[in-house]
Amino acid sequence: MQKLDKKTLLGIRDQLGSYAWDDTEIDELVDPKLGIITGFQELLEQLEYLRRIDLGSTPPAGDISDA
Amino acid sequence: MSAQLAFASIGELSRRLQTRDLSAAQLLEVYAERIGRYADTSKAFISLDLGGARRKADTADRNLDNGLPLTGIPYACKDLFDVAGQITTAGSKVLQDNTAHSDADAIRNMNQAGAICIGKNNLHEFAYGATGENIIYGTAPNPYDHSRLAGGSSSGSAAAVGFGLCAAALGTDTGGSVRAPAALCGLVGFKPTFGRISTAGVIPYSWTLDHVGTLTRNAQDAATLFKALLPTAHDIPQVALRGQVIGIPEGFFFTRCDREILDSIDLLMKFLRTAGAVLKPVSMPSMEHTRSVSLTVQMPEALSFHNRYLEQRGHLYSQDFRAGLALGQCLLAEQYIRAKRFIETYRRDMAVIFAGVDALLTPATPVIAPAIGAVEVSVDGIPEPAGNAITRYTSFFNMSGHPAITLPCGMHSAGLPMAAQLIGRHHGDEQLLGLVRQIETDYDFTLPLPDLA
Repeated sequence: MQKLDKKTLLGIRDQLGSYAWDDTEIDELVDPKLGIITGFQELLEQLEYLRRIDLGSTPPAGDISDA
Repeated sequence: MSAQLAFASIGELSRRLQTRDLSAAQLLEVYAERIGRYADTSKAFISLDLGGARRKADTADRNLDNGLPLTGIPYACKDLFDVAGQITTAGSKVLQDNTAHSDADAIRNMNQAGAICIGKNNLHEFAYGATGENIIYGTAPNPYDHSRLAGGSSSGSAAAVGFGLCAAALGTDTGGSVRAPAALCGLVGFKPTFGRISTAGVIPYSWTLDHVGTLTRNAQDAATLFKALLPTAHDIPQVALRGQVIGIPEGFFFTRCDREILDSIDLLMKFLRTAGAVLKPVSMPSMEHTRSVSLTVQMPEALSFHNRYLEQRGHLYSQDFRAGLALGQCLLAEQYIRAKRFIETYRRDMAVIFAGVDALLTPATPVIAPAIGAVEVSVDGIPEPAGNAITRYTSFFNMSGHPAITLPCGMHSAGLPMAAQLIGRHHGDEQLLGLVRQIETDYDFTLPLPDLA
């Protein structure tokens, strides 16, 4: 998986019907400097790891029934 | 005298009200005076309704024999709960004019149990964060050390009970936001099984993880509030400690934890063994990716709710919450669904564990209350964002949906409370409360009152 770059996020913002996030917020996601979001790249890498785990037919979590 | 009342349990206050040793109006004035005295220090309240509370206290005094469990008991709620006719700010500029037209289900049930809502508590903006820091309403401090955090996101709720400004408080818990601040402030924090207490009328943060919970002075009061919030709940049973099988999770929940907190849990385990409980090591699901799974669910759900405000009021959000929402925008739908499927696997793994134990025991937090303004804390030389550390042992059980309760288990040499966490089976809330109530009866959890002078 390639490292996330700003162009990708600008594409999401401008081409996929997103709220118009400021450039500074996009910058923070790609290259955190303010310490607000410190691990988006790391999160994406963990999600990529989780993507490779076969969950079979496990459904998404729903309500918790009283068995 | 007033300090004794201010820090009395609901059980004690109810007894005094019933014997006419105390009137509801007198009790309310004790809290009202303290709220005024500690308003600047505690930063516990965003808004108050003392006029309405006084009218309700007068009514309560004429109806002390009505048989309701909370008649005349003043409480507060995190400012995410709608109270009819009052503004629900969620601790944000975004909702400064958001007047509620009806009560949240939880508020309605508290009212019907006779309790009196006196005001709405400060919080981390929209419950986004475990430190409770709020640039608009200030950061609620820890009652035991005002240079330390009360913890969040139900920071004002913890401060309100911890400073003796009300008898109990309602909060919400998405990753530990009731249990963690309760633990840091020497209180009992309880979140029931996911979905048992209605969240209708509560501003959501993450529908998959949000729970309504309670902050009280002891487990008996938590049981009383649980019954009030869920009138269809079963009676809280008497639970004998002898024969209870208590699972002790291996690894994650006992690593990178303050040594004194671990020692306090050791003492509790020794007590449980002596009382006849069986302590059984259990292997939990891997915790390596659980924070990522939780975040991947939280942020798209938060964004989905806040989309209704972003276009017109996006500039009113704090910078950190906007950045979190932006992250939610950039996750893929399949990543969100996959995270929810991992949550289902956690629940299935936990069902296997709970087939062999009655409850689990962990520390509530790996650290005592961090200093206000601390970005990171360090345990065993490893730095960690303060908010992550505060909720490291609690957030998994929002995903698994199990009932969980934190209770004080001693004072740290730094003069701050330490706490344990017990987790029960799905829909075993009553059993868990009965167990903890028995532990509380037999084991001396008494903490010194905070020195607020």
